[in-house]
Amino acid sequence: MSDEPDIKITDNTALPSYEEACGRLETIIRRLDSGEAGLRETLELCQEGRHLVEVCAVELDAVGRGLEELRLDELVARLEARPQAE
Amino acid sequence: MTDGAPLRPEGIPGLELTGPHPVGRYAGALRDKLRMFARVQVFGEVFGFKVGGARVWFELRDADGALPCGMWRREWEASGIGVLPDGCQVVAAGGCDFYPGSRSASPGFSFAVTELRRAGEGDLLAQLERLRRTLAAEGLFEPQKRLPRPALPRTIGVVTGEHGKARGDVLAGLRRRGWAGRVVWAFAPVQDRHAAPRIARALQDLAACPEVEVVVVARGGGSLADLFAFCDETLCRTVAMLRVPVVASVGHHTDRTLIDDVAAMSCSTPTHAAEAAVPVDCAAARDELHARAGRLQTHGRRAIVTRARHLAALSRAPADHVARHRARLHQQLRELRASARRGLTEENAAIGRRALVLSRKAAATGVSVQREQVRARAFAATVHSAAEGGLARRRTDLQRLLSTLDAHDPQRTLERGYARVEDPAGDSVTSAEEARRLDAMVLRLHDGAVHVRHLR
Repeated sequence: MSDEPDIKITDNTALPSYEEACGRLETIIRRLDSGEAGLRETLELCQEGRHLVEVCAVELDAVGRGLEELRLDELVARLEARPQAE
Repeated sequence: MTDGAPLRPEGIPGLELTGPHPVGRYAGALRDKLRMFARVQVFGEVFGFKVGGARVWFELRDADGALPCGMWRREWEASGIGVLPDGCQVVAAGGCDFYPGSRSASPGFSFAVTELRRAGEGDLLAQLERLRRTLAAEGLFEPQKRLPRPALPRTIGVVTGEHGKARGDVLAGLRRRGWAGRVVWAFAPVQDRHAAPRIARALQDLAACPEVEVVVVARGGGSLADLFAFCDETLCRTVAMLRVPVVASVGHHTDRTLIDDVAAMSCSTPTHAAEAAVPVDCAAARDELHARAGRLQTHGRRAIVTRARHLAALSRAPADHVARHRARLHQQLRELRASARRGLTEENAAIGRRALVLSRKAAATGVSVQREQVRARAFAATVHSAAEGGLARRRTDLQRLLSTLDAHDPQRTLERGYARVEDPAGDSVTSAEEARRLDAMVLRLHDGAVHVRHLR
């Protein structure tokens, strides 16, 4: 375990981007696949991994709900309307 | 194939034109007529230079028009001019020609070139190269390339012509990625003199929307002149300074406009540009995410189950050990019992054998005892008879001795009137002298004693 300095249990309170989440997930699974992680580390990595899977799933869901086509002026109008609504 | 002179059909009624003529003959006449045109020199920019088996082909263009040109390959090779790039300005000498074609070949007009010389780089290309060098020297090709490009943008801006084919191609590329987020269209003219400022404005407006994470600029193929809007200096400087990455796809893959150099990424087609804007294949990413979630679950479960099994095995070990010992003890006990039984049986058998021997010996001994008893009884009878004889003899002897003894018994003497004198001590007094000396004596008669005193 001491030979694995690049893998650390990270603080998962900050929301990572999709690519960060994917990269970290890949690292976690590589570490788990190596079979070198102890019980506590395994459970912590699994918990963090599940959180990252959630993050990725949310991102994938966001681009899977159906194509929405907007003209630029429509988007601008929406953006301008938002501060008034708030 | 020719079947000789074709039959001439009737002409169109009511027309005063000559004919109808066979078309091949007319085409041949047209060729002859065109070849009679004056031979001239023309100049323009070369586009689409192709080398065929016998001829080379290219178009000669300028802003007002173009001519398809052909040249015998051997003449082109003899000129040593080489393959001409697009935009290369040349002077060509030649005249009009027409290939009349046939039943199996298309006809074609061309300007038959007999002499060719380069006239320096085309103006457009020369301008372009100068601008390219300037922008590169200012480092404006770099900022876009340093921008991080999101793997999975939620909102993509697209600058393209509203009615062009590129619009559909972009959507096709996004669909191929399985991407179904939000597309913000910023339509702009893409090929006239007013195009460049409108495109730049569209890009700036898109970049001003915080939701837009990447912008695609797309336009289909065209001549360099058509694409020149995308080489505009102001547009290129605008792109270089944008906060969002721009993926450009302008013209065919052989064209290279300046926006291709300035943008974060340049693609050969609008479809590829859309795919580049969404680097992740969403369907595959969903499958992979699902697989990863499964792997995590497996790892988590296995981490616990494996250890639980190990613990269970460890906890069973003492019981197993005891069970093994118990089994061994039982086995030993069974062996012990069997051994004891075997021993007893053997002992019984031995005892039986000994008993048999003893009984045989006893039987033998019984015969001898009987014999001894007979002998003993015979002996006893002998002894008895002998004893009987001796006894009678002894009885006779005793009788005789008794008679003798009676004859000598003092009592008998006394009974006959004699007395025995004893001193006080009981000793016999046998002389008178001794009697004189004694003061007292005892006269023992047969029926009692009489004490006497000596009188003096």
